[in-house]
Amino acid sequence: MSPLAVFRILAVAAALTPLAALAHGATPQKVVETIEIAAPPAKVWAVVGDFQNMSWLPGVVKTQGEGGVTPEIAKRRLFLAGGAVIDERLVQYDDAAMSLRYIIEHVDFAVLPVGNLSATLKVSPAPSGGGSVVEWKSRFYRAFPGGNPPEQYTDEVAIKAVSELFKSGLAALKARVERE
Amino acid sequence: MSFLRAGATGFLLALVIGAAHADEAFVPNQSSGDLTILDLGAMTPAAALPIGGKPAGVAVSRDGARAYVTSPEGHFVSVIDAAERRVLKRIDVGGQPFGVAVSPDGRRLYVADMNGRELLEIDPDGEKTRRVEIGAMPSGVAATPDGRLVIAAARDDNALVVVDAETFRRVATIAVGRHPYGVTIDAGGRRAYTANVESDDVSVIDLAERKLIATAPVGGHPYGVALAKGRAFVANQYAETVSVFDTATFAPLATIKVGEYPESVGASRDGGTIYVTNWFSNDLWSIDAESYKITGKAPTGDGPRAFGAFVRPVD
Repeated sequence: MSPLAVFRILAVAAALTPLAALAHGATPQKVVETIEIAAPPAKVWAVVGDFQNMSWLPGVVKTQGEGGVTPEIAKRRLFLAGGAVIDERLVQYDDAAMSLRYIIEHVDFAVLPVGNLSATLKVSPAPSGGGSVVEWKSRFYRAFPGGNPPEQYTDEVAIKAVSELFKSGLAALKARVERE
Repeated sequence: MSFLRAGATGFLLALVIGAAHADEAFVPNQSSGDLTILDLGAMTPAAALPIGGKPAGVAVSRDGARAYVTSPEGHFVSVIDAAERRVLKRIDVGGQPFGVAVSPDGRRLYVADMNGRELLEIDPDGEKTRRVEIGAMPSGVAATPDGRLVIAAARDDNALVVVDAETFRRVATIAVGRHPYGVTIDAGGRRAYTANVESDDVSVIDLAERKLIATAPVGGHPYGVALAKGRAFVANQYAETVSVFDTATFAPLATIKVGEYPESVGASRDGGTIYVTNWFSNDLWSIDAESYKITGKAPTGDGPRAFGAFVRPVD
């Protein structure tokens, strides 16, 4: 998969569609993706837990932020290949549990067709072999909050976009950590 | 109850009474589209009913006879015979029905149309409807125990709206924190509490004065409030905790770790137990209201919302 394919319609550069802000009356959706990595949890967390460096996610060319890893203070802006940005805020950070949660504060629906997304990244010891399991899970809404969403903003489109993003991100994380 | 009439031993009597008084939880599961009924004594599922339309909101009548479940994406409210575990009918209300409350006498339903700016009053028998403008994103709804007032959260207006139940007109608008969501009224009808999702606090309203009297800080992304033992128990969705604060002093008392993405919270009739539904982990946990210990866990369907008064008293 090309790096650009991660963020759905980025290459298409779809026109901005005016939608009412993030009012949600739709149904919240779940996506859970996991991957096993042949590296100890501490080594994986050193990458995943660095909130101010999202360079392991395909499509991200630069991370710019502030506030380190302090929940509710830490923010970051992801600059994507193609020029779009995603603004995110850290809401939970547990170094001992190797878990963090962030929310998307702003994203163009043409990049990621979701509303009110929060997501958790957690690194755990693999059941055997000394490796790690990384879980990336999220709660979000489709981009269109009302009934009868247009076809580019349905629940299914939102789930597919988040699922593909997480899968490609985890695969890239695995490749990077196992190469180091 | 035939054991009782037959004159059982004190031991058996206590057992029977204990069992018969277990409350139940009526939990709409938005993702799986059904309703889980949990026996809160045994902490086990007692029944599951198909509902459809992505059910989210729930209100159990004070006498425990009926439960009402909103389906925002189906645009209807289901009327449920709580004892017989049966859907009696669907009332098509249009819009996106979300928060729901039932009047103390059981004769009126109050339904928030989330994207329609209005609160609907519905006669569940005659289906006559009155409407009142609430504002942006009507969410949680509660009625005072005397039946005279209905309180609805206008989430995106950062306000609680007080509606006179008789005239069905708004009589006050009270500014609260950012994005008030669940609304809970105390047993005496003196105060309303609302969890402010965006400002991570709870606004406390004096209903006689119709004014904000306190703002209590809680955890990240609070959704619902339950009241017991002079304390407020608040489910914090992002923090994955229940915050406890004293309702006399508003001082924080405890933070209890719960399941993933807790949303709705309710109290047992005796106030001894708090129940919280965890949307991501698909379960309901019970918490001792004195010791704050987790006392039980029960499975729900997928994506339990249970937005509203989901605990059913059983006699």
